[in-house]
Amino acid sequence: MKDFYLIGNLPGWVIALAALGVVALLAQQFVSLKKRLAVGPSTFLVLLRTCVYSVLIFFLFGPAIVENRVAKLRPPLTVLIDTSESMAFPASPKPMPEGKPGKSRIDVVKEKLLDGKESLIHKLSREYDLRLYRLGTSLEPISPDSIGQLKATDQGSRILELLQVAAKDSPPQSALLIFSDGITNGDKKTLDGSPPLSIPVFAVDVGETEGFTDARIADLRAPEFAFRGREFKVDLTIQTSGLKGKTIPVYFNRGKNLITSRTINVDADLFEQKITLSFTPRDLGPHSFNVAIPNQPGEQITGNNQKEFKVDVRRDKVRVLTLSGSPAWNYRFLRMAMKQDPLIELVSFVFLRTPTDSVDVPENQLSLIPFPIDDIFLEELKNFDVVVFDDFSHRAYFNPVYLDRVRDFVRDGGGLAMFGGSRAFDAGGYADSSLKEVLPVELDGKGSYQTQAMLRPVLTASGKAHPVTRLLPDPKANEEAWNKMPPLTAFNRIRAARGETLLTAGDGSADNAPLLTVGRFGKGRTMALMSDEAWRWNFIAVGNRETPQNHLKLIRQAVRWLAQEPSFEQVQIHPIPLSRPGEKVAIKLRVLKDDFTPTAQASVQLRVMGPDGDPVIVSTTADTEEGEYTGDFTPTKDGSYRVEAEASLAGKALGKDKTSFSVAFPYGETDDGRPRPELLKKIAETSHGSFFSINDWNEKTFDQIEAKLESQAPSQIVERRQTRLWSTFWPFAFVLVLLGVEWWMRRTWGLI
Amino acid sequence: MDRRNFIRLISRGLVTAALWPRLGQAADAKDKRPIQFTFAQIKYRGGDWNPHPLAVTPLMEELMLRTSVDAATARREVSHTDRDLFSYPFLYITGKYEFEPFSQDEIDVLRRFVSYGGFLLIDDALGQAGYGFDKAMRREMQRVLPGSEFKRLPSGHAALRSYYLMRRIGGVRMVNSFLEGINVGNSTPVVYCQNDLGGAWERDQLGKWTNPCTPGGEEQRRDAFHLGINLILYAMTENYKDDLIHVPFIRKRLTR
Repeated sequence: MKDFYLIGNLPGWVIALAALGVVALLAQQFVSLKKRLAVGPSTFLVLLRTCVYSVLIFFLFGPAIVENRVAKLRPPLTVLIDTSESMAFPASPKPMPEGKPGKSRIDVVKEKLLDGKESLIHKLSREYDLRLYRLGTSLEPISPDSIGQLKATDQGSRILELLQVAAKDSPPQSALLIFSDGITNGDKKTLDGSPPLSIPVFAVDVGETEGFTDARIADLRAPEFAFRGREFKVDLTIQTSGLKGKTIPVYFNRGKNLITSRTINVDADLFEQKITLSFTPRDLGPHSFNVAIPNQPGEQITGNNQKEFKVDVRRDKVRVLTLSGSPAWNYRFLRMAMKQDPLIELVSFVFLRTPTDSVDVPENQLSLIPFPIDDIFLEELKNFDVVVFDDFSHRAYFNPVYLDRVRDFVRDGGGLAMFGGSRAFDAGGYADSSLKEVLPVELDGKGSYQTQAMLRPVLTASGKAHPVTRLLPDPKANEEAWNKMPPLTAFNRIRAARGETLLTAGDGSADNAPLLTVGRFGKGRTMALMSDEAWRWNFIAVGNRETPQNHLKLIRQAVRWLAQEPSFEQVQIHPIPLSRPGEKVAIKLRVLKDDFTPTAQASVQLRVMGPDGDPVIVSTTADTEEGEYTGDFTPTKDGSYRVEAEASLAGKALGKDKTSFSVAFPYGETDDGRPRPELLKKIAETSHGSFFSINDWNEKTFDQIEAKLESQAPSQIVERRQTRLWSTFWPFAFVLVLLGVEWWMRRTWGLI
Repeated sequence: MDRRNFIRLISRGLVTAALWPRLGQAADAKDKRPIQFTFAQIKYRGGDWNPHPLAVTPLMEELMLRTSVDAATARREVSHTDRDLFSYPFLYITGKYEFEPFSQDEIDVLRRFVSYGGFLLIDDALGQAGYGFDKAMRREMQRVLPGSEFKRLPSGHAALRSYYLMRRIGGVRMVNSFLEGINVGNSTPVVYCQNDLGGAWERDQLGKWTNPCTPGGEEQRRDAFHLGINLILYAMTENYKDDLIHVPFIRKRLTR
């Protein structure tokens, strides 16, 4: 396209002055010519000269021809095809004839792009500078030839984030064409707060919402851990589509056992309800729970009808049961130590009266209560963590079956401690009881309770590192603390220690007899303190201006060790974070010897059980940090996995631990299959694009896109050329011709 | 004596001889069991620290008769500076008259004693508020536990239900119908009675009560014994009777 412009830069008054000068010159020339020629020829010659001067004056304006060469390019267009897992869902909720599977959403897109005499993708490639991507958790460029092989396998769809990325990478006059079901599960789920897109988006919706039927557990919030005996709550959000008028049960299970159920009455096509379930755990350790909705008729997606979660049940307090044969100072200071410890919940019974004691008032004037022996030993024993027999003889009160229960309690993981006195150990008749095999001492019925001694506690090699007797972290300071402990004046002599002796009675007459021993029986732990005067380590220490804290610590640490508090375990699996399928998980654990120092020589067996329940043996290696071991495991499925570890050293078991961890895809792509055309419409509106349904796509759709792009993306000027007339041949030739004609006429008329 | 009566007499003698060791053993059995409780009494300067020298044995006998505690029948006399003071977590102090102020060391010892688990029973043998022993004791306790004050123990205090459910307290005279105490944390390691409990416990060597109890007579004395037993058991079991498991039973009995 050519245009004429005046591009001179002389001021107007200069040109006007020049023009006036030219007029004066022409007038003078006319007057001069008229003297020699007739009016006609004079006028003709002046006219010729006028033309020449006019051309020259015209050139003062700087006339030029500007040529715009407009080359129309192919506009850029970016096509995004959603290949997330939700695109594998059926495109239509309508049932297919003869039970045939319906087309998936990705199949419908592929069909639209590839079918026909001239496929849509071919047309787009011809008319546009096309860039093609698959869209899921990221954008991946693909070629038109690979569209036929596309599969809906991406674990998530970050539509809103990736549209921003695509718009930023595209040239200004381009557009985006996206084929998607509108399900987005990136960090952004709505357009609120998002910056506007810089280029228009043509959104093509895939997947019909009419008739879409689904019930799902949209959201589940459960605590990671809970306390035994305390209720915890689980908050759920149930969402349904297309189930108006139905009554749907929701089941809350632990493993395969039903805990409770609720019923939901669906009163809308798009329905949502929040419910809260609760459970009070009784058993410690990790537990797997699930919440499930039965599959509803016509439901297309059933994988989102169930959600699993795990809760680690811990004890909030260590429950201790003490039985004391009589009121005693040992009981007072034992009670004081336990009551001051917020972790310990104490239930104690003190036998204030024996059957031989006589009473001088009616029973109702005494504060004595009947000892609930059946309740305690036949029903409630399992709810305690530790049982303490404090100078208590079973003879006067116990049926042997109660002691059998205590034995079973320890075997199943409970803790048992016996404190000495005139009613304990052999003196208490335990050599003939079922506790004989449980206690960490050997009883032969001949042991005795001795007084009038002065016994100092002496720490053994085992006692120096054992968590019960490790009162101070520094070994030397710990030993000094024990050396300063006040002497005892009474102790129970027993035949021998069976377990590990932590303290001996240091005195000539005591012959270093065991004073404090610990052991194991079945899954439980036991302790024997062969004196009823441990209270002296507290109160006499106060009298000596020493700290009573050592006695308090001894009691608390003994309780924790007996209750198998995790920090006192010799094998501990470190917490395992949430993982993804296909991602390697490093399972780390710590192993300590019996003296609670780390060991790199342990033999560790590690087992992982997946959602299918099949155990996998995982080999472990010792880390550079002594006592630490690692085993690598790669889960292949999502779900809950259980880990069990056992360690031994030189053939002797050190301990066990177990835990569980969850494996899940982070996006929850298949949780909600309902297409979201409303999101795609909003994206199109806010970006000044257009929205289409893939079922309504036809030839006009393509033209509409083209027209919109044309109006928003004008032709580009590729080249602009400017030519001054003064530099061209023809105006110059014209001036020469005029001058030539004038010369010829002058010559003809004899002026030259 | 005829043959029948002679045989009867010999038979009784043989039976008595056969039983005598056993009866002796039964009486001595508790004496041979290890001592769990010793009644320790504080000696101080000035005043009269020992107004009732024979008060303890009757109380100990009663304690052993009624409860499972094995106690020494004789008291132990201790001073504040005795090296083995802390071997006796229960201390008793009584008197009638003003006494010399405790030294600073004695104050420190008593403070540690009651702050770290010991129990102190204060028994005013004169019963005159603001005078004599009462005046001196209150003065000294202010030095032992500065800022603390004696407060009336509520009727539901654990010390009043540690063995007997006490609705009254006894003593030689009823100066107060209540006990006072100083609390440290959740317990009451200092208890004060102005009714002369020791005077009510005391029995002379012939077994006769030394002091009449007025106005309640022997019932009032019995309350004094019950209170003594309760305070000893409270010292040895602390707030045991405040544990939840006891509450419904006690409540039920008290409302009858």
